[in-house]
Amino acid sequence: MSRIGVFVCHCGTNIGGIVNVPEVVEAAKAMPLVAYADENKYTCSEVGQGSIRDAIREQKLDRVVVAACSPRMHENTFRKTVATAGLNPYLLEIANLREHCSWVHSDSKKATAKAIDHVRMAVAKVARHESLFPKQVGLTKRALVIGGGITGIQAALDIASAGHEVVLVEKEPSVGGRMSQLDKTFPTLDCSACILTPKMVDVAQHPNITLLSYSEVKEVRGFVGNFEVDILKKAKMVDHKTCTGCGTCWQKCPEKVTSEFDLGLGQRTAIYIPFAQAVPNKPVIDMENCRYQKYLKWTQTEEGKKPPECRICEKLCPTKSIAWEQQEEIVTEKFGALVVATGFKTFDHSVYGEYGAGRYPDVISSLQLERLMSAAGPTEGEVLRPSDNTHPKNIVFIQCVGSRDDKVGRPYCSKVCCMYTAKHAIMLKEHDPEVQCYVFYIDIRAGGKDFEEFARRAQDESGAVYLRGRVSQIYQDGKTLKVLGEDSLIGRPVEIDADLVVLATGMEASEDADRLAQTLHISYNIYNFLIEAHPKLRPVETQTDGVFVAGAAVGPRDIPDCVAHGSAAAAKVIGLLSQDSLTTDPLTAIVAPMKCVGCFACKAVCPFNAIEEQTTRDGRIIASVNESLCKGCGLCVVACRPGAINLRGFTNQQLLSEVMTLVRR
Amino acid sequence: MGEDFTQQIRDKAKELLENGAVECVIGYETGSDGVSARPAFIYDAAEVDRLAFDNTCTHNLVKYLLDKKGKSTAVVVKGCDSRALNLLLSERQIQRDKVYVIGVVCPGVVEWGWNKRSEQLQKRCNWCRQHTPVVSDFAVGEPITEEPPAEFADVAEMATKTAEDRATFWRDQAERCIRCYACRQACPGCYCIDCFVELLDPEWVGIRIAPDENWMWNTIRAYHLGGRCISCNECERVCPVNIPLSLLNRKLEQEVLDLFDYKAGMSEDAPAPLITFKKDENLGIAE
Amino acid sequence: MSEDNSPLVIGFLCNWCSYAGADMAGTSRQAYPPNIRIMRVPCSGRVDPLLIVKCFEEGADAVLVAGCHPGDCHYTEGNYHGRRRFALLRDLLDFMGIEKERFRIEWISASEGKRFAKVVSEFTDEMTKLGPRKVG
Repeated sequence: MSRIGVFVCHCGTNIGGIVNVPEVVEAAKAMPLVAYADENKYTCSEVGQGSIRDAIREQKLDRVVVAACSPRMHENTFRKTVATAGLNPYLLEIANLREHCSWVHSDSKKATAKAIDHVRMAVAKVARHESLFPKQVGLTKRALVIGGGITGIQAALDIASAGHEVVLVEKEPSVGGRMSQLDKTFPTLDCSACILTPKMVDVAQHPNITLLSYSEVKEVRGFVGNFEVDILKKAKMVDHKTCTGCGTCWQKCPEKVTSEFDLGLGQRTAIYIPFAQAVPNKPVIDMENCRYQKYLKWTQTEEGKKPPECRICEKLCPTKSIAWEQQEEIVTEKFGALVVATGFKTFDHSVYGEYGAGRYPDVISSLQLERLMSAAGPTEGEVLRPSDNTHPKNIVFIQCVGSRDDKVGRPYCSKVCCMYTAKHAIMLKEHDPEVQCYVFYIDIRAGGKDFEEFARRAQDESGAVYLRGRVSQIYQDGKTLKVLGEDSLIGRPVEIDADLVVLATGMEASEDADRLAQTLHISYNIYNFLIEAHPKLRPVETQTDGVFVAGAAVGPRDIPDCVAHGSAAAAKVIGLLSQDSLTTDPLTAIVAPMKCVGCFACKAVCPFNAIEEQTTRDGRIIASVNESLCKGCGLCVVACRPGAINLRGFTNQQLLSEVMTLVRR
Repeated sequence: MGEDFTQQIRDKAKELLENGAVECVIGYETGSDGVSARPAFIYDAAEVDRLAFDNTCTHNLVKYLLDKKGKSTAVVVKGCDSRALNLLLSERQIQRDKVYVIGVVCPGVVEWGWNKRSEQLQKRCNWCRQHTPVVSDFAVGEPITEEPPAEFADVAEMATKTAEDRATFWRDQAERCIRCYACRQACPGCYCIDCFVELLDPEWVGIRIAPDENWMWNTIRAYHLGGRCISCNECERVCPVNIPLSLLNRKLEQEVLDLFDYKAGMSEDAPAPLITFKKDENLGIAE
Repeated sequence: MSEDNSPLVIGFLCNWCSYAGADMAGTSRQAYPPNIRIMRVPCSGRVDPLLIVKCFEEGADAVLVAGCHPGDCHYTEGNYHGRRRFALLRDLLDFMGIEKERFRIEWISASEGKRFAKVVSEFTDEMTKLGPRKVG
């Protein structure tokens, strides 16, 4: 007979304020197999855990129910607690009285009844728990970092410096990410390129880092310590082994197209590096726009003349590195840990009809302004109006474009816009003292070291006029843009003749973030930002062991946060890879050979190919589970009509006991 | 049918047993009342004349192949029975190279009559759309062009009743059930070593014969055959208290057809609907 | 149904999405009726139809199964299998007199605490209106 101990937590007043804890304890004492029940102010505290350990020893308990917060919070904590008292850590069950009860119900009587039921279910289930023993498996001491922005760069450098091999995958032709597009950084006004470029070069030169630029992650298989990842290497059409990056090809290429890096404000060639400091500093050919490709694809039926064959890059290349035969390829690599640092993209402001829906050339996004201000940008750092290349004098900034706006499905704050707009106001005044900036804002959010002082500086020293209110309309009036808005502090309409309007576009999850999350089996929210294992206590872990998230892929973040986050993820990876073997979760499926009829419905439904065939001594072919592949989903258990497969930790017996205790009174 | 079919089956059985192609021929013979057919197991070529085929040959003999695993066996199947072959092949319960299929085109079988031949066609034969076997190594009779999918008039009629009436109806059936498991024993799809209903741990169904337990048994029996039932209706035929099991089976058959465009036992390769899925299907839940 | 005529709702929540969504409902104090009793399962694909039938056999008024949105399953495919099984089972149960409304399947992600509370509130209200099961 089991001797079950039940420990009910008050959680301060979090549970005890609604649920009548003494009543739950009394009810627990009357439940079958319960030998002991007690309450704690905070069961997770050292005192609380100590009382569990003492009770296990003194009361000779062989199973424990902790009725407290969500098992997702403290199941591991209490597993360790019971283990230190000599019990198998899996002889524990958690009843969720906080998140699922006291925090969502206000009727004390009904909440207490529900709490008692949840304890009753946990008791019924734990009675059927069995000791489980994790296994040890080896691991591959390599890490994959997905995304070569500042976050990914930082993570890769930290992991590599600890002595582990890193593969850094970047989908663009160069690492650097969004930070490489910025001119200066707030609040220190450091030159973005000056602080980023050395890190980019470090990545390229680090002996432990393999940089796969122009590549994407396609498939991920396996589990912590033993991931197998298919990486698509897009065809660069240039042999980077022989290319020296001399630049002849991209200087001579006759095909000019709009530069993605300069956000439509500048041009690049068909064979190109995205920006001057690109790493690797070797070009790729944009096959959509390459003249030779157009020549090859041209058919007689099309109108117009056959385009020239071109191939100028090939003719001029001193190292004969143009590789027309190159094909995209998929390489499969093994890793022990993965870091997702896929960053963000900026909100597309063309959905705002009142701001001109993208029709006015002099209504630009703040990232476009960064390109105009950058010495390496299309105007070499001179801020010129896109429409007529004149110097704008009256500049209007509009905050929260694609942030804090339910109307466009972006209710969250993008966190960085208040600060970069202050930066813009300060910088523009420095560039040209005649400039007058106006900023339409909702609130100024300047929480952070030196941030408030910086935001003040924009107003007090640079003379930017901050107007609290929204802009209702912008329209073109000759060469000027009429900006109609409201100053809500004085309750009066405002009209400003602007030469340039800058929209503080918010941050959103990068393209394909949801697809990647699905591939990695990690969660994402409705905005496609990735979800961390715990927003406060496990900020870089995910629900999938061995997969870590960092940077703006998780939500809007500024550069110092991204760097810290990248290093945090690296620390977790280094900790993981420093182990010589990993403990596997023992909650896997198991086959009862005598019951298996060999229909292999289990095999058909298993997503992990964990079901294998095995011949019994009497010649029957039956199923068996490869425990290192099994992830414990239990699909096979349900597919098995005779109940020959069971899932440890969630057995048929356990789940049925829980149901029975609810329905049969 | 009749004499001609019987002779063809006898001749084939003789040939198969004589040349050693099979160890046993499972067919029908006339029972002790001199009228109704019963299963016959012929191991000796000299005994093939016991075999017969007429409109009393009601049993689904595929069920017996489950006892002949690994042994070369010939089996006489009607159209409906033949779909069970594909079911068992896809579920790896029998091996195609061990089974020789004598497929008989069946115009329908009659109700059972003691000492006399009934003229009443069995209910299932009215909705039968599988007169010609889907698998056969040796065909007896001319294939019949099958008509469009079966009607589900009685199923539809049940759906017009109120939920309370439906619940009462099945409650009444459960009260009459004696849990003899004849339905299961006759079913070619029921071959588990340990049926869920007889497990003591977990005890899905209480051991006592009571309405709740019987209801659970009948529900899960039907569910376990969802997308697998090949509509031979042997379960209903053998039920000693005449529970209309075919209503449940055919309800599921209809749903499986509607939701998954699937008909059980038509091919050896098509995966059963509950062990596969489509990512973008709309099944009317949580949409 | 309990003595005060409030329905007994049994909820099976997948560990990775919906259970976390219910946790989120708690963390953000999104109130819902206290009728539901919650069981944690690794995946909606682990919810055996036998369990659901057992709930109804033993007199539960309603069953909620909630899992990750299609495409988001922690185990890639679990909810797709669950969806098929539940679709078929729900039709069978309805045919046997247990109204479709009593067996609800929802996809609720880890971030949808508010929606979890809304689903449970609506479901409980609906079941209260529908009343206890008349036969069974």
